[in-house]
Amino acid sequence: MTMLLEADNITAGYGAVTVLRNLSLHLSDNESIGLFGPNGHGKTTLLMTISGLVRPSSGSIRYDGVDITLNRASDIGAAGLAHSPQGNTLFGEMGVAEILELSAFTRRAKVQRKTQMERVYSLFPRLAERQKQLARTLSGGERQMLSIGCALMCAPRLLMLDEPTLGLSPKLKEELGIAVADIAKSGTPLVVVEQDVQFLLSLTDRLYMIEHGEVVREIDRTDAPDHAEIMKLYFGGDSDD
Amino acid sequence: MTEAMIATILSGLVLGSLYAMMASGLSVVWTTLGVFNFAHGALMTLGAYVAWTISEYLGLGLAAGMVAGTLAAALAGIVIERLLVRPFYTNRNMLLITVMTTLAAMIIIEKGTQVIWGPRLKQLPRIADGELFIFGSAISVHEALIVLIAPVTLIALWAFTARTLTGRSLRAAGQNQTAAALIGIHVPHAYGLAYALSAGLAGFTGVLLGSIRFLTPTLGSEPLVKAMTVVILGGLGSLGATAGAAFVIGFLEAFLVLTVGLYWTPSLLFLTMIVVLIFRPNGLFGGRS
Amino acid sequence: MNRLSIFILPAVLIVLLAVPLFVEDSYIRHLFIVAFMYAVLASNWDLSLGYTGLFNFGHMTFFGVGVYTAAIAAKTLGVDPWLAIPLSGVTAALSALLIAAPVARLKGIYVVLVTFAFSQLVLQLILSQSQITGGGEGMVRLPYLRLGDYSFIRDYKLGYYYVALGMLTLSTLFLTALVSSPFGKSLKAVRDNEDYARARGISITRQRIAVLVLSAIFTGVAGGFYAIYLRVASPEALGFGTMSLTLSMVLIGGVGTIWGPVIAALILIFATEAFAGIRGMEEARFIIIAVAMILVLRLAPGGVLALLNRLTNSTLGR
Repeated sequence: MTMLLEADNITAGYGAVTVLRNLSLHLSDNESIGLFGPNGHGKTTLLMTISGLVRPSSGSIRYDGVDITLNRASDIGAAGLAHSPQGNTLFGEMGVAEILELSAFTRRAKVQRKTQMERVYSLFPRLAERQKQLARTLSGGERQMLSIGCALMCAPRLLMLDEPTLGLSPKLKEELGIAVADIAKSGTPLVVVEQDVQFLLSLTDRLYMIEHGEVVREIDRTDAPDHAEIMKLYFGGDSDD
Repeated sequence: MTEAMIATILSGLVLGSLYAMMASGLSVVWTTLGVFNFAHGALMTLGAYVAWTISEYLGLGLAAGMVAGTLAAALAGIVIERLLVRPFYTNRNMLLITVMTTLAAMIIIEKGTQVIWGPRLKQLPRIADGELFIFGSAISVHEALIVLIAPVTLIALWAFTARTLTGRSLRAAGQNQTAAALIGIHVPHAYGLAYALSAGLAGFTGVLLGSIRFLTPTLGSEPLVKAMTVVILGGLGSLGATAGAAFVIGFLEAFLVLTVGLYWTPSLLFLTMIVVLIFRPNGLFGGRS
Repeated sequence: MNRLSIFILPAVLIVLLAVPLFVEDSYIRHLFIVAFMYAVLASNWDLSLGYTGLFNFGHMTFFGVGVYTAAIAAKTLGVDPWLAIPLSGVTAALSALLIAAPVARLKGIYVVLVTFAFSQLVLQLILSQSQITGGGEGMVRLPYLRLGDYSFIRDYKLGYYYVALGMLTLSTLFLTALVSSPFGKSLKAVRDNEDYARARGISITRQRIAVLVLSAIFTGVAGGFYAIYLRVASPEALGFGTMSLTLSMVLIGGVGTIWGPVIAALILIFATEAFAGIRGMEEARFIIIAVAMILVLRLAPGGVLALLNRLTNSTLGR
C-alpha cells in the first residue's frame, strides 16, 4: 500500500503560539480519513500546514512520494492537493461560473475542466442556477458549495474539506453531506474535518482525534466506538492527555 | 451646434481618453494589490523619455520608441513592486507605507530623469501629421488617434482581466490571496504581473502624452493629479467606473475651460470632487469601499 | 521618553541658545535656521500623520498658505512682518478647517488622495493668480524684520536664529502639551483602536478636524517666517521637493514621536546641504533622501529615535 500523504512529527503555529505539537498522520492511496476534536485544538492549522499556508517549524510532509514541507501553497495546489478552507469567502466580486472556471487554473486541472464543471453542477444544482451571481451575494450554504466546487475543479488527487457543514441548517447540512458522500464514493481520497463523528464514520475509513495539537486517538471504522463513548471522548476527558 | 461647443467636445474626448488610460492603470494595481501607486505619473515620464531616446536620439523611429517606452516602464514597475511593495505585504500599515515608498519611487524616477536627460525640453513626434475637420472644428490626426487608441486599449484591458485565465487570476489574487493560492495561483507572480501591466500602460500613455506636450521630468505629475481626481470620483474598484469617471472629468474640464477659463478650472474641478465626496464618500460610481 | 524630556531637552535648548556665540559664520547659522523651520514643519505633520494616524498628504498646503499670507500681507498690504508671521498661522488654520470638513468623513486611501489633491489645487491657484502671487516667479524683496533701529539683515543672521529657535521651542512645547493632554491621549486611543474609541463616545470626525487645524497653526507660522526670512515666496513651498524632504524627516525621526522629526530635521538639513555643495548633486540629493526614506521604512520602521531609545534602554539595562 503506497502512502498518498504522510505528515511526520509536525510542529507549527503562529508567531510565538505553537498549535501543532509533533503531530503525525498518514493516508494511503485509496482511503479517506476524518479529523475531529474540540475547537481550537489545531485541526484547521493542520490542514493549512499541509497545503502550505502555514510553515511548520519542524517535521516533514510528504505527498505522493514527494517532500512538500517547504513548497508554496500554489505549487501544492497545482500538484492536485485541493483544500476547501473553513468559512471560505472566496472571490466576492466574481461570478459563480467564472470562479469555477478559474479554479481549474493549473495545467492538470485545465484538461478536466469541462467534466469537472458538469460534475460540480450535478452535485450542486443550486450553483448551476446561480452561475452569473456574484459570490458575495450567495448564502452561507451556497458559498460552502462553491468552495467545495472550486476544490473539485482543481481535479484533486486528494481533497481536504474543513468543516463543510459548519453553521448550516439541518436541511442544508444533509444536502451537503450527501454531496460529500458522493465525492467520497467516486474514489477521491478525502481528509475531512468535522465535529459530527457519526457523519465522519459514514464517510471515511479512519478517524484521528486531535487535542492540544496532538493525535490523542486513532479510530478504525471497523472497531468504532458507539455514541456514548464518543460523547465521553469529547466531554469526559477520557483521553490520556 | 456652435464651433466652440464642438471644439469643447473634441477636447473633452482627448482629455477623457488620456485620463481613462492613466486612471485604469492605477485601478489595475489598486484592485490587485491594494496599493495606490504614486509613481504612476513618473512611470509615464520614464516611458516618454525612453521613447524619445530610441525614436529621436537614436533615430530608430516612433514605433520602436513606443515599444521601448512601454517595456521600460513595465520593467520599472516590476522593480518597484519587487523592492518597494512586496516587502510590506504582511505589514498592518501597508496602505500608508506603500503610499510613501511609491512616492519615494516617484522622486527617484523624476529626479533621475532630470539627471540623465537634463532639463532641456524635448518633444516626441506625432503618430501622424495633418488635421481632421469635424463639423468645421479642427482636431489633429494625432489627437484623433488617441481618442481611438484609448477605448481600444481599455477594452483590451477589460477583456484581459475579465475573459482570460491569467487576467482573472490577477483579480482573484486581489480579492482573496489565500483562496487564490489554494487553486494554484502563484500570488507574488500575479502581483508582479499586475504592476508590470499597469506600469506598461503608464509608459504607453506617457509616449502618447509626450507628443502633445513637451517632455519635462514632471511631465506625469500634473496628469497624475487629474487621474487622482478621476479615481476619487469613479472609485478604484472597477475599470468601467474608472473609465466613466475619466470621461466625465475630461468633458467637465473642457467645458469649464470654455466657460470660466483655464485659471479657475482646477478649483472648480476640485470643488466638484469635494461636493461629490460629501454626498458619496465612496465616489460617484463607487458602491462600496 | 519622559526621562529624555525632563533632563536632556532643556540641555539641548541651552546648547542651541549658545550656538551663535561660537558659530559666527552666517551660512552655518542659516542652516540652523532652515533646520529649525523644517523641524516645525515635520513635527506638526507628525501630529496628524503619525500621532493621529490620519493619512494627511496635504500638510505642505498649510505651509504654502503661510508663506503667501506673510508675503501678501507684508509686501502688498504693508502689514508689519512681526504681525504677518502670526497671521500666517491663522490663515493656515483656516485653510485646514476648509479641507478638514470633507476629509474627516473619508477613509483610507481617499484621505490621501483628497488631501494631496488639495495641496495641488492650492499650488494651481497660486500659479494662476499671478497678479496677486507673482505666479511661477513668486514674490521677491519682501520686507524684513526690524526691532526699532535694529535690522535683522545686517547681523549675520543672529536675530533670525533666535526668532527661529523661539518658534521651534513654542511649537514643540505646544505639541508636547497637546499630546500629553486628555485630548492627545484620546488621539492615540482612536489611532490604536477605532472601535474602542467610538464606544467611549469620542467623535472621530471632530477629532480629525481639530487635529488638522491644530497641526496647521505652527506650520503656517513657519511658512510666514520662511517667507520673511528669505524675503521670497515661491510656489516651490508646495512642491514635491519640500514635501519629500519633510516627509523623510517624519519617517527617519520616527512616526508618532514629535521629538524624532525635530532631531531628524537638524540632521537632514545639514546632510543635504553638504550634498548640495557638491557639483551635480543639486538634484541627485533628493534621490538620496528618497532612498533613505525607503531604507528607514524597510529596516527601522520606528525611525532613528526609536533606534536610539532602544539603545539607551539596553545600555541602562531596561
